[in-house]
Amino acid sequence: MPNLIQKIILLFVIWLASQASCAFAVEKSKQTKPLRIAVAANFAQTLKLLLADLPNKEKINYQIISAATGTLYQQIKHGAPFDIFLSADATRPKLLEQEKLIIANSRKTYAFGQIALWSATQQLNSLNELKSYSNKLAIANPYTAPYGKAAQQALQHLSLWPQLKNQLVTGININQTFQQVRSQAVPFGIVAYSQLVINKYQGIIIPPEYYQPIAQQLVIIKASQQVKLAQQVSDFILQVSSQHKLQQLGYLPIKSRQEHSKVNE
Amino acid sequence: MTDISSDLLALITTLKMAAVTTVILLIIGTPLAWYLAKWQSRFKVFFEAVVALPLVLPPTVLGFYLLLAFSPSSLPGQIWQSATGSQLAFSFSAIVIGSVLYSLPFVVQPLQKAFEQLGDQHLEAAAMLGAGPIDRFFSIVLPLTKASFITATALGFAHTVGEFGVVLMIGGNIPGETRVLSIALFDHVESFNYANAHLLSAGLLIASLLLLSFVYLLGNNFTSKQHRPTKL
Repeated sequence: MPNLIQKIILLFVIWLASQASCAFAVEKSKQTKPLRIAVAANFAQTLKLLLADLPNKEKINYQIISAATGTLYQQIKHGAPFDIFLSADATRPKLLEQEKLIIANSRKTYAFGQIALWSATQQLNSLNELKSYSNKLAIANPYTAPYGKAAQQALQHLSLWPQLKNQLVTGININQTFQQVRSQAVPFGIVAYSQLVINKYQGIIIPPEYYQPIAQQLVIIKASQQVKLAQQVSDFILQVSSQHKLQQLGYLPIKSRQEHSKVNE
Repeated sequence: MTDISSDLLALITTLKMAAVTTVILLIIGTPLAWYLAKWQSRFKVFFEAVVALPLVLPPTVLGFYLLLAFSPSSLPGQIWQSATGSQLAFSFSAIVIGSVLYSLPFVVQPLQKAFEQLGDQHLEAAAMLGAGPIDRFFSIVLPLTKASFITATALGFAHTVGEFGVVLMIGGNIPGETRVLSIALFDHVESFNYANAHLLSAGLLIASLLLLSFVYLLGNNFTSKQHRPTKL
């Protein structure tokens, strides 16, 4: 019996060694690494749709890696092997620029987010329904999430903030807010309009002049070994046809708010 | 890459991570549990507390500090880089090291309890008859504590499969390397692929339930055998 167990353990160790050498061999064979695009979770789906239109001659082997903007920022700071980073805000790209972790002048605004009032339980007709609303309202955290900050500004603009601020359920990011409303756990919520477009829901767009522009910026990471390819992807996202598609997907294209973006820089 | 093949890749990565982690945990956890069980000192409680820490620390916090440690700009990260030639953070090795730390109490604690309950008389008798320490371990300790080894292996493996926070921070969600099932699942939810998310979580749930039931079945069989009188 003890012999059998010793043999099993020996087999285990041999297997472990083979696993390790296998992993090492895979490491070696990865000479042509795919372009790694790190993207804020709430833009990942949109990005997939956008990149599906990459023209043939620019067919690029890429991987999309999505996480919360804050997580990706921390990872890039600590050497994550990403080539291009599409943030959900302008703050983190600016920080990366100050920390000299990006290619000079690669920081560009690629889209402006829009917010919308939405309910999964009832048909909404206008923002005025908020005036007599007494139930919970879901928004993203105004202190950490750009879409939450915009929601707060819009409510302040409508003079509804003092009345509604005690009825708020705040999500850690706009995706959590969307899920809270979608699951009908919260009757009303202010979510990203792009989330409604992708999931084919109807909501009421809150006029962009009610809140500061939600600029989403991209940067090319300095440590990238494929700067040229990353530049191509960046150019592609900023070109007119992609911007047109972004508009259909619920974002405001960069042209329309250029004057605002100057203020924002 | 389609969603199915990318999920399959995540499954393979997960199983590989959990298997390697469990083997490493058994190799380092067994002597650690042995010393903790046999050691009599007032400092023992401190080391027991250190082993139990991953139960208390939020995984993302543990992950964040590991990220700082594994970063190419910190000392452990640099040592690894000069020894192996590749970066530690965001590699398969990084998530294995993270999982070993994170699942440590799940392997060490059952083993320690088993070793504590193990009487000295068999070991002393074997030593008198001339059995060396290695022989004593494989001929006496291992057969007597088999059920606890099975529990420790199952808990270590299962806990690593379900790991999320640590891998999210130090892995970087890289397909084929650090994207594991729990993260693929989270990605599906975040990008509104609810159908894929349901499929993946149902699969994970059923597979884990079967695995754990099987392991407990094995454990029960061994325990009931141990209660029978044995010929020495």
